[in-house]
Amino acid sequence: MKRLVQEALSKRMLSNGGLADRLNGRFQVDSTAWGVVSFRAAGDGSNFVEQSCTRLRAEQSNDGRIWVSREHPDSYWPTSLAILSWRDSSASQRAQGRAAQFLLDTAGSHPQKKPGDPGAHDTALKGWSWITGTHAWVEPTALAVLALRAVGHGKHDRVNEAIRMLLDRQLPHGGWNVGNTIIFGRELHPNPESTGAALTGLAGAVDRQMVSRSIDYLQGEADRLRTPISLGWALLGLAAWGAWPSNGTALVERCLANQTRYGEYDTSALCLLFLGALAGESPAQHPLLTHSDSTPAILAQ
Amino acid sequence: MADHSPSQSPRGLTRRDVLMAAGAGVVLGIGSLVVPKRYFRMPQQAQAFVAKVPHYQMEIADAIARGIRELGIPPEELKGKRILLKPNLVETASGAPHINTHPLVLRGTIEAFLRLGAAAVMVAEGPGHRRDTLAVYEESGLADVLTEDRIKFHDLNYITGYELENAGRQSRMKTLTFPALFKEVDWIVSVAKMKTHHWAGATLSMKNLFGVMPGIYYGWPKNVLHHAGIENSILDINATLKPHFAIVDGIVGMEGDGPIMGDPKKVGVLVMGRNLAAVDATCCRIMGIDPYKVSYLERADKWLGPIGEDAIEQRGESIASVRTNFNLIETIPAHRGIRLA
Repeated sequence: MKRLVQEALSKRMLSNGGLADRLNGRFQVDSTAWGVVSFRAAGDGSNFVEQSCTRLRAEQSNDGRIWVSREHPDSYWPTSLAILSWRDSSASQRAQGRAAQFLLDTAGSHPQKKPGDPGAHDTALKGWSWITGTHAWVEPTALAVLALRAVGHGKHDRVNEAIRMLLDRQLPHGGWNVGNTIIFGRELHPNPESTGAALTGLAGAVDRQMVSRSIDYLQGEADRLRTPISLGWALLGLAAWGAWPSNGTALVERCLANQTRYGEYDTSALCLLFLGALAGESPAQHPLLTHSDSTPAILAQ
Repeated sequence: MADHSPSQSPRGLTRRDVLMAAGAGVVLGIGSLVVPKRYFRMPQQAQAFVAKVPHYQMEIADAIARGIRELGIPPEELKGKRILLKPNLVETASGAPHINTHPLVLRGTIEAFLRLGAAAVMVAEGPGHRRDTLAVYEESGLADVLTEDRIKFHDLNYITGYELENAGRQSRMKTLTFPALFKEVDWIVSVAKMKTHHWAGATLSMKNLFGVMPGIYYGWPKNVLHHAGIENSILDINATLKPHFAIVDGIVGMEGDGPIMGDPKKVGVLVMGRNLAAVDATCCRIMGIDPYKVSYLERADKWLGPIGEDAIEQRGESIASVRTNFNLIETIPAHRGIRLA
């Protein structure tokens, strides 16, 4: 798998650092960040990886955020990915610190719940949004938790509150979706990618029994997953709880083969799939499954 | 992206209105004649076509081609054009195919446009509830159909965007970012699902266009649009994008707690037309919903299109012959009091 990662991603490398969004595509921040994390998970510490970190640093705004494009400064969701990609880059430590501070200073909207609100979740719990000025959702919050825990902020109040927020958004019958649980009295459907992201973010921070129904849901889904974002996050989420499936490699191979059906995967999706695959090979060295020593306190139920 | 015909200003005056009004001004200036009110505010007229299609195994392409012909769209308007179909793919759930536009409606639409001379047809969607667009594409059954038919599918959530000034100006959004892919097509067709909606009352061809706004700029769900106001955003997107045609899959729709948790509702119709507000108003009447009680449609009236029954020329089946009241839930505020008398 490590060789496959290097072969596949090298085709998307750009001469001045960074990765393209797809084959023959153009530089993309999130593709580059996911690419760096994937290279590191595959044990590659080449000059290209460091060059890509440098390219990402050039994209950082004055306030520390990394946006998806200069025309869309509110789209700050790649900031967490950049933090994760700079983890082993000594030249990027200052940029990483500024990005982490930006996250700590930023929250999705968190209004007090009004009487009669048709939604069940606690809107006041702080997490992170995809876009500034909007509500906090599961995947950006899980990524921010991963990023902040990776750089030593695991005990920060914001991380602990975000963990509570993720638990609050867990569906009663297991799993997560983008972040709504019950609306007008009806429990909504879970999906594998949100569930995988949440489980990855929560691993090592909460008791297994608090998420066991979600692990069960994801284990029940894994065999039928054919697409890279769902399968990648599902494998990561399961690996984070020691439940990477025995047929994981076959699932990844099937998903890669499906490019004849869907077309070449975009780089970010492909990287997620590779990261899910590598989580089964060497979880102890995996950059998304290893945290700093500032692990959050396990929350009482 | 091609313009509409007739061209329409953001505030709802057609080019023809402007010319007529200018003409009326000249007449006033010359002779102080009494000018009929209609010259100052031309009532908009639109057509909507309703086809009876009892189930998905019917000849859907024939029904759509007939609708396009009966709506007076000449073949030369479609000949050589690149058509982008935007279905309603939200999420998938076991036993709930009625969440999404049925793949066979897409197949029929593709076949109809190609038969009428289109150079290319593609399908594109950016689901609001799933980060994994390909998963919805696969699990909805659309991937099987498009792979077999060799039709290209585009993920609109993860795509380069381009900005347009917000022509609707109903929300605080100054610009809207659309997929750059849209610059490469001639027609954008909303291929929606006939559903009730727990925030908006009903989701039809206009609301369906939330899915063209890329998730990488608008989030999942498209929360920027929610914060800007769902109704404001529906109007802004439609006023700015100016889609060219709408087809609503009402063969089996969704009633009750739509757009995802509701129950299937068999109606057996496809509704289509050039003017999305008029198409949606017709769908509402078929669903037993008063379009004037659906706030975004009421606000669209006489601007983005007419919603009055007397301003919509009904072609094909009559509304009365296919009306099937959709279940509305009194505890959902957007459903309260919208039943058509």
